[in-house]
Amino acid sequence: MATTFYLEIIASDRPFFKGDCEMLSFPGLDGEFGILPNHEAMVTCLKAGELRFKVDGEWRYAAVSDGFVNVRPEATVLLADTVELPEEIDIKRAEAEKLRAEEKLRQKQSIKEYYQTQAELNRAMNRLKVTSKYR
Amino acid sequence: MANMKEIHSRMKSIKDIMKITNAMYLISSSKLKKARKSLLATEPYFDKLQETINDILLVAPHMHQIYFERREELEKADRKRGYLVITADKGLCGAYNHNVIKLAEEEMAKGDNNFLFVVGQVGRQYFMRKNVVIDVEFLYTAQNPTMYRAGEMTDIILEMFEKRELDDVYVIYNEMVSPLKAETQIKKLLPLERKKFERRAAGIPHAAFYPSAAQVMDNLVPNYVRGLIYGVLIEAFSSEQNARMTAMETATSSAKDMLRELDLLYNRARQAAITQEITEIASGAKCAQKS
Repeated sequence: MATTFYLEIIASDRPFFKGDCEMLSFPGLDGEFGILPNHEAMVTCLKAGELRFKVDGEWRYAAVSDGFVNVRPEATVLLADTVELPEEIDIKRAEAEKLRAEEKLRQKQSIKEYYQTQAELNRAMNRLKVTSKYR
Repeated sequence: MANMKEIHSRMKSIKDIMKITNAMYLISSSKLKKARKSLLATEPYFDKLQETINDILLVAPHMHQIYFERREELEKADRKRGYLVITADKGLCGAYNHNVIKLAEEEMAKGDNNFLFVVGQVGRQYFMRKNVVIDVEFLYTAQNPTMYRAGEMTDIILEMFEKRELDDVYVIYNEMVSPLKAETQIKKLLPLERKKFERRAAGIPHAAFYPSAAQVMDNLVPNYVRGLIYGVLIEAFSSEQNARMTAMETATSSAKDMLRELDLLYNRARQAAITQEITEIASGAKCAQKS
């Protein structure tokens, strides 16, 4: 039995990670997902949250936003809008974004705007969570 | 003498225009550098996105999902086609805009129910003058594309597709194949096609979709379309800068050629004028001597 599987993490603005990985854990639509080697072929979606993957016995962490995951026997591909390491996140900016989103939520908005702001707030809060945890 | 003056003013105007083309060349080359950087960063995502979606469509089980609706019951003539046409905000970039518009018009000739989403001022102005139905509120610039802007475009397009205001959606843009070559591309955005036959031929079983195939597709398709539009915008923007840079480079060099020729003409005219003057003086002096 293989103990690792090939993983590719690609963000829209850069390739983030490529290589063998022992375990991957990401936020799915209805809860955390864990992928181990020899997982069955699967397609699922990703929402903003905390991404973890284990390489050479060491956990690595990142903050992700919306995307999807394609698990295949030969390779697992994770595509997301953004993937950021905890040390790359600008805390001040994330805090400002959070405040702005909260402020916007108090205003009267259309349904579409409301969803957008909510997603913004979600992303900002997730960034703050990941940084406060791993930095 | 008048000839000399004419040539001189002509040379001056060419020099002035050359200053502009040269400045534009410098600007677009620095913009290109930036665009190339973001293109290089996004290309792996763009390629992988298309590869992955192909892969996913290969293993997708049968489902009733709006983005797969091919609406075959509609007559070919009744189908409402939407085109996302990506042009530049400004002209002076060679055949860049022209190529996209030409392909768009060829495609539009296929049916009568066309609806255009135009990115970039040049295309907008062109189609408005031609009285083509375009989305007037689809006001997005072609410059410095962002994921956010791609997301807004996606929302508009998907909503129209869901409401059956559009049956097929295509995107037309210029792709930079190499710094010297650009190709006009057309890509189908919607509806997606499940590759049933290819899957059977390859003997691949369906993959699991979690939580459910429909739910995954509901989330995945907007994400995919957004990623695709973003990639296309980036690709088009760097192609635009490249086209402008080449066009301005050619303009500058042809201005230099013209100046060289005019310089020669000017010198010749000056020489002729001097010679004439000398002859006149000499003959005048001769006359004066004789008398």
